[in-house]
Amino acid sequence: MADFETIAKQFVEFYYQAFDSKRENLLPLYREQSMLTFENAPTQGATSIIEKLKVRIHVARTPLVNRKEKTLTFAKSLPFKDVKHQVASVDAQPSSESGGILVLVAGALIVDEEQKPMSYTQAFQLLPDGQGSYFVFNDVFRLVYPAA
Amino acid sequence: MADFENIAKQFVEYYYKAFDSDRASLAALYGQDSMLTFEATPLQGVGNIIQKLQELPFKEVQHQVATLDAQPADAQGSILVVVSGALLVEAEKRPMSYAQTFQLKPRDGSYYVFNDVFRLVYPAA
Repeated sequence: MADFETIAKQFVEFYYQAFDSKRENLLPLYREQSMLTFENAPTQGATSIIEKLKVRIHVARTPLVNRKEKTLTFAKSLPFKDVKHQVASVDAQPSSESGGILVLVAGALIVDEEQKPMSYTQAFQLLPDGQGSYFVFNDVFRLVYPAA
Repeated sequence: MADFENIAKQFVEYYYKAFDSDRASLAALYGQDSMLTFEATPLQGVGNIIQKLQELPFKEVQHQVATLDAQPADAQGSILVVVSGALLVEAEKRPMSYAQTFQLKPRDGSYYVFNDVFRLVYPAA
């Protein structure tokens, strides 16, 4: 019987290796029905997702909090080309009777080498692809800013 | 706003209000098949889950939600929710960042927590 924790760990390793070296290699991991929410921006479909992730990603350093209006605005938006993920933790649980797996990752993102690393969290739901492997159905990515 | 987003927001608000005021009342949000992984400790079933949450080494806690994202998780109305925020615990002077993901499944006209994963997120550098 397939071990969902092993599958999750192997997937995460492959995912970030692909992401950090050649983002186009992520394409086979998504399908037409896949969803990505990247820093609040929703996208659907493998092609659109890879387009969003390819080459340049805009990531804000620190948000400006307007407490009165309860809004966050990003004062500075940095496009970057090189990124390296450092996974701190991977948790997995079975998500459905059809063999889905929920994965929660926490880690650090190093952008263009000389910048300060940022903490992030990413959740995936992996679904069996019917051919012995898995694809990403749900994908949510969030930077986690220091609490204080 | 999409329905699943509304449901997710309402759920998260209710969840943390219950957590921060009366942890035992969270029992209504879980089922016998629910799973919680709390800082790497896996648990199953509402009884074990509530026991774990009540045994956490603090009396007073306050969750402050910074971000909330939701996506449909299947064709039956299940919802994936991803939360990031800060946790203020009585003994600690500084709040801690955390990430939590839930999968909500429909039950009797409402929703319950089927999957729950909680992790503290430490500063990257």
